Amino acid sequence: MSLLDAQLLSRLGGLKVRARAVVEGVLSGLHKSPHQGQSVEFAEHKEYAPGDELKHLDWKAFGKFDRYYVKRFEHETNLRCTLVVDGSGSMGFGTAGLTKLEVARVLAATLAHLLLKQQDAAGVAIAAKGRVVEVPPRSSASHLQVLFDTLERHEAAGETDLAATADLLAEKLPRRSLVCVFSDFLDDNGEALKRLLALRARKHDLALFHLVDPAELEFPYDDPTLFLSMEDARQLEVNPREIKQSYLEEFGRFLDETKATCTAADVDYVRVRTDEPLDAVLVKFLSGRVGGRR
Amino acid sequence: MTFAHPWLLLGALAGLIPLLIHLFDRRRPRPVSFPAIAFVLKSQKRTASRLKLKRLILYALRTLFFLAIPIALARPEFVKSATAVTAKGAAATVVVVDTSLAMRWRDGSSLFDEARKEARAALADLLTEEPAAVLACTRAPAMTGPLSFEKSRLVTQVDELKPGYEAVDLNRCLEVAARALEESPLANRRLVLVSALTANALRLESEPPITTGPKGEKVKPEVVLRDVAKGQTLPNRALLDVRAEPAPQVGPGAWQFTFTVRNFSAEAQRDVELTLKVDGEAVTKGFVELAPEGTTQKTLTYRFNRGGAVYVEGALTPDALPEDDVRGLVVTVPKALKALVVNGEPNPLKVKDEAYFTDAALSAPGSPVRAVVRDADAAWKEELSAYDVVMLLNVAPPPAEVTTRLEAFVAGGGGLFVSFGDRANDVDAFNAALGPVLPRKLRVVKTAVEPNQADSSGRAARLTQLEAAHPVLSPFTGLAREGLVSTKLYRYALFESVSAGDVEVLATLDDGAPALLAMRKGKGRVLVFGSTVDRDWSDFPIRTAFLPFMQRAAAWLTGSLDEREQLRARVGESVTLPLTAEVAVVVVKSASGEERALTKDETGAAASAGPLPEPGRYEVLDAAGRPVEALAFSATLDPAASDTTKHDVEAVTAWFGEEVVKLAEGESTEKKTPLWTWLLLVSALAFVGEGVLLRK
Repeated sequence: MSLLDAQLLSRLGGLKVRARAVVEGVLSGLHKSPHQGQSVEFAEHKEYAPGDELKHLDWKAFGKFDRYYVKRFEHETNLRCTLVVDGSGSMGFGTAGLTKLEVARVLAATLAHLLLKQQDAAGVAIAAKGRVVEVPPRSSASHLQVLFDTLERHEAAGETDLAATADLLAEKLPRRSLVCVFSDFLDDNGEALKRLLALRARKHDLALFHLVDPAELEFPYDDPTLFLSMEDARQLEVNPREIKQSYLEEFGRFLDETKATCTAADVDYVRVRTDEPLDAVLVKFLSGRVGGRR
Repeated sequence: MTFAHPWLLLGALAGLIPLLIHLFDRRRPRPVSFPAIAFVLKSQKRTASRLKLKRLILYALRTLFFLAIPIALARPEFVKSATAVTAKGAAATVVVVDTSLAMRWRDGSSLFDEARKEARAALADLLTEEPAAVLACTRAPAMTGPLSFEKSRLVTQVDELKPGYEAVDLNRCLEVAARALEESPLANRRLVLVSALTANALRLESEPPITTGPKGEKVKPEVVLRDVAKGQTLPNRALLDVRAEPAPQVGPGAWQFTFTVRNFSAEAQRDVELTLKVDGEAVTKGFVELAPEGTTQKTLTYRFNRGGAVYVEGALTPDALPEDDVRGLVVTVPKALKALVVNGEPNPLKVKDEAYFTDAALSAPGSPVRAVVRDADAAWKEELSAYDVVMLLNVAPPPAEVTTRLEAFVAGGGGLFVSFGDRANDVDAFNAALGPVLPRKLRVVKTAVEPNQADSSGRAARLTQLEAAHPVLSPFTGLAREGLVSTKLYRYALFESVSAGDVEVLATLDDGAPALLAMRKGKGRVLVFGSTVDRDWSDFPIRTAFLPFMQRAAAWLTGSLDEREQLRARVGESVTLPLTAEVAVVVVKSASGEERALTKDETGAAASAGPLPEPGRYEVLDAAGRPVEALAFSATLDPAASDTTKHDVEAVTAWFGEEVVKLAEGESTEKKTPLWTWLLLVSALAFVGEGVLLRK
């Protein structure tokens, strides 16, 4: 398995190339696709009871056993997946080759590629600058290019607005869907996470990709620094050495609480360091889903 | 609190460095876009109060570091002030201040300056109800008054004290002070000893001072030691002695001066310069090497080009006690003498000539006499007053007019030497002609043996009894005496027993007959040798003693030998001067102008003045204020006063009794707490603390 880290991906040209590179890594890492495609397969026999569809009576079984049995089928519909990408200003931060937004794009594009490849429907929603750019899920092969273009077009700016995106999706998603959210979840009040978790209550399948830059985890600053907010006009002059310990504690607590909240809400939580190999991230995610409940 | 290097305290300004850095070194922070700024803000709020405290502590530690180092380098010491008041209550106090020469030792300021400070401090420490007195410890210590409560007067007394030039007896001074304490009704007594505690001043083998209490009981007074030397040694070198003597071997007018130099320190001293000064002008130099605690002698010579009293001074390179590095004396350099040698029996053959040997002796190198030889006829025409000495060598009886002139010459201070020969065979004629100037008249010429006889050597008369104390014969001792007593006299004159005046018989022959007569006549002197000064009647001219004898005889006849007797005087003592009828001297005057009146003794032959206040040259003035050159003298220091070897304070404490030395001060006992080591420790702790705090 080739592990594609952020440094390597950053040297690859466009999103399409990056996504394909990751897809190759993912497919070579998976022995079996978790998705079975669009088909109707026999599942079991059931003794006829009033109200059952007569068209499902198995006449051959009646001939053998002289009893009415109804055939039961496992009816698998195509998977509908909406890839939600946080396009706020904070996602433009990156110290390991790729910004968090770029990593989110690659992950989203890779998943879209995989989904469309097995005839599942994939759509994209990008939340930024107080609005949501949405491309509804489709399963046609030509839709992949539309998704790529949409993902690539958008740049990181403005405040995090995942809450509004969650509300929008709650209204628009017609039936059970898979919602993959790529964000750093750095909003001030934690409202975005709450709203997203509300999707789970509507029976949607939810997976959160929490993107974290190494600099956020390690706080590698020594000299007096003027920290500038990436989403608003806030700025703060501090001596990083003096607050480093406290910062690391605060940020670590935030990560732990986010994970704990997701776990409690039965939501897949994947923490993604922007400097780690992305194919490995997806392989781990997909393997979890194949072996897991869904 | 005292500082060894107070100027280093300026470095304490470094304590401002942290403040200045804080004020002026505000570095511009690097702007960084950061997504998790909310957590940075939260962290800053959380740590703000702690950081403020940390910054404050850091600032304090840094300031402490920069302050403590320069203050520590200034070597601060906390000196616990000694207070003389004891728990027993008020005590009568006598402050004894050492004024010996050693107190003039200086290293920057003198020990005596320090002694004044210590004495003032001792007085300041006294309670108002404590009576006190100040005793200057001199050669002759005496209380200036009873114990007094007037501290201001006592302080003035201390301020007026002056260091002396002598060795002092601290034991004696303490004894005087102890007696003074007995006059106080107070039961407690205290002696404050302000001294350098030199070994020559304080004898620890004697008994310590003790007082008698009001009830007759013996009470050891409390003793406060104030060692002005603070326990340190007092290295010193000194010129202890200078001896002057003529050095004829070097040339006419040459003298040699032998200096004795002593090193009173435990370290050797090399290439110490010794300068010989004549009347204040350096004329020659030498160098001496001094072993530790060693003594050495150095001789320097100088040729004087004029006679008279000259002040000669030896000076070492000055050390901490320069007063004893100089030592002087007044030498009377004999003036050039002129002698008229009257040749009574000239002979073309020099060895047969009557004046040949005498002329040779007086013309020898180093001789103070310049001889002019004339035959009798020519000599009688000479102006005798142009000469200092007239030597009549085997002259025929001169005319009466000549005798008269000779008489006047002697009476006026001239010297007359007479020797005999065949021309004196007519004794009566000789007596008639020269009798008035002779000590004794001739009686007869005696022949012991004919010189050409075979056994003449054994039968010749010899000199036996010599008046060695007389200046003429004083050098003839030991082997030199042999040169004189081995002289063989074949023929000689016998004198009448009646003397013409105060006649001294300086030498007699083995038959008891006088051979050498000396007499003072008027201001002059007469010396008569009973035989010949050529080889006709004796072999004296070929004896080793002949040359010095003739030179000294000529010198004595002019009074030069008397002048060479050096007058020695010592500072602190009285000087006794011989008086003459001609000059009435009234006062002696030191180089600095201090005068001491002369007091005649009972006989009137001498006068004394003193005690002499300082070392150096002294002039003796007559009633008109004119200096009398012949009486000028030099006062020197007591060599013992130069010994600056110190007692240990512990030894002195033990001698007084440790139970009574309540507040011993000095190097070994002073309660000084060095603070600089603690400051360095504080500085190091501040440094470490700052490092630890920074890492947190």
